[in-house]
Amino acid sequence: VVGGGSGGLACSKEVAVLDFVEPSLKGTKWGLGGTCVNVGCVPKKLMHQAALLGTALRDARKYGWQIPESQTAMAKAVQNHMKSLNWGHRVQLQDKKVKYLNMKGSLVDEHTVRAVDAKGKEMKMSARNIVFAAGGRPKYPTHVPGAEEFGITSDDVFWLNESPKKTLVVGASYVALECAGFLAGIGLDTTVMVRRIALRGFDQQMSGLVTVYMEAHGIKFSWKCTPKRVKKLPSGLLQVTWMDLNTTEEHQDTFNSVLWAVGRAPETKTLNLEKIIVAADEATSVPNIFAIGDIAEGRPELTPTAIKAGRLLARRLVGRSTELMNYENVATTVFTPLEYGCVGLSEEEAERRHGKDQIEVYHAFYKPLEFTVAERDATQCYIKVVCLQEGEQRVLGLHFTGPNAGEVTQGFSLGFQCGLTYEHLRNTVRTHPTCAEELVKLNITKRSGLDATVTGC
Amino acid sequence: MTKYEDVAVHGYEEFCKVVSERKGKDIFAYFSGDKDDQGKSWCPDCVKAEPVVRGELSHLPEGSVFIYCQVGDRPYWKDPNNDFKKNLKLTGVPTLLRYGTPQKLVEEECFKADLVRMLFTED
Repeated sequence: VVGGGSGGLACSKEVAVLDFVEPSLKGTKWGLGGTCVNVGCVPKKLMHQAALLGTALRDARKYGWQIPESQTAMAKAVQNHMKSLNWGHRVQLQDKKVKYLNMKGSLVDEHTVRAVDAKGKEMKMSARNIVFAAGGRPKYPTHVPGAEEFGITSDDVFWLNESPKKTLVVGASYVALECAGFLAGIGLDTTVMVRRIALRGFDQQMSGLVTVYMEAHGIKFSWKCTPKRVKKLPSGLLQVTWMDLNTTEEHQDTFNSVLWAVGRAPETKTLNLEKIIVAADEATSVPNIFAIGDIAEGRPELTPTAIKAGRLLARRLVGRSTELMNYENVATTVFTPLEYGCVGLSEEEAERRHGKDQIEVYHAFYKPLEFTVAERDATQCYIKVVCLQEGEQRVLGLHFTGPNAGEVTQGFSLGFQCGLTYEHLRNTVRTHPTCAEELVKLNITKRSGLDATVTGC
Repeated sequence: MTKYEDVAVHGYEEFCKVVSERKGKDIFAYFSGDKDDQGKSWCPDCVKAEPVVRGELSHLPEGSVFIYCQVGDRPYWKDPNNDFKKNLKLTGVPTLLRYGTPQKLVEEECFKADLVRMLFTED
């Protein structure tokens, strides 16, 4: 197995796994476990939690707690946790008798992998089956002078030894918004620069709620702007020149850090490959070579899908099962300051597939009870369930912005998997008082044009 | 000529003193329940793990330090606020760890010679 991340580790059993982290341009490297453990899900969620706790401290004062103002040294604690996960994975592999090599793998022929360690020592390994799970890495906008030299990416932001201070985040993916979210949440001056739209591919109404909330909470957005160049000033600050695409005027500002979150590319170059296209069973054009996780084209780039695909592939390879990975109905959550969870289709996609007349959208603006005493603004807390118009009204897509969106979404995604209908929702008794219960209370349709703000219990 | 330094300590204060005198060194520590006059520990897992750990000491890196630390008697260890649990975040004995890193083996993990060797030899 080439790659020891979410997919690769799940797939390894009585096999050998090669894991090697090419240092980022800034020299950041990390241990076993892949993107998720080291520069993705885990540190992201922990830093998001750190930011949420900052908000909670402010809320706490409204609830009567006497909390002094204070700064926290959060990064070290997060980094220590990631290192303990690296070790945990290492122990697990050893325990399961998986041969682990900290070496970079490349393909020689259909049964041979060339492995090279950090010192350049080489060895050839032959295998009946080869699985590529080397993931992806952030892209740099190489057409922007100074981008590579002076900017950082998500590879670096979780491993910085000092605060990035005033930061420009370029990009509008969930990576960009989540990073901007926790940087601002821990008190840093943060700007997000978006070329066109935010959270492309996600429901755009929901995306708007997420970004409006961020703007209302101190995160600056430069919409329809694109960076032109980055220069380092004698003071050490970075001067960014960008163009406003509406007016074509150029603007400048200085930042301590520039974080590029403009997309990720699969790690195929180091494997002497262009692109890896896979069939439904994760097989490539070569019968004994497979690919799982971010490295394969056209798959959701998520940890849980990589893990499940890896496990199922391993079982198929040893002849214990024929079950294929089902990539449908995968629930996801964006951990922005106002979290957004969803499963199924966006409203736009549902309209595209079924026609506007064939769908019914139930929605509600709600206020989390906890926000009341804390005097928090709940204007963007919203739920939307997109259903088929006819019969029991099967749910095509479910969308939720609010606290603990991930927890709420995971529960409802199980129902979605089982063929959730609007009838099911209406027949479910609420758990009170919660935010999740608002999903089973939904009764106002978009079509009716009525005010969707929840009132009373 | 021994590759590593072998030190025995008893109790938290002595452990900290020995560590502070060896700043900058690669320190491995094995925590065990106290041994009685016959040399037998009240902790049965510690009795089982010790020969395994000792059997792998030859794989310790050159210039490193191995600290054998008796933590105290059983009532001391059972107290959830004892110094080892509070300050070193130990959760059980035996524990074998590389000081200052998250690398550690706890309880039954210490019975496995290959895991002990991995702790001593890998970065």
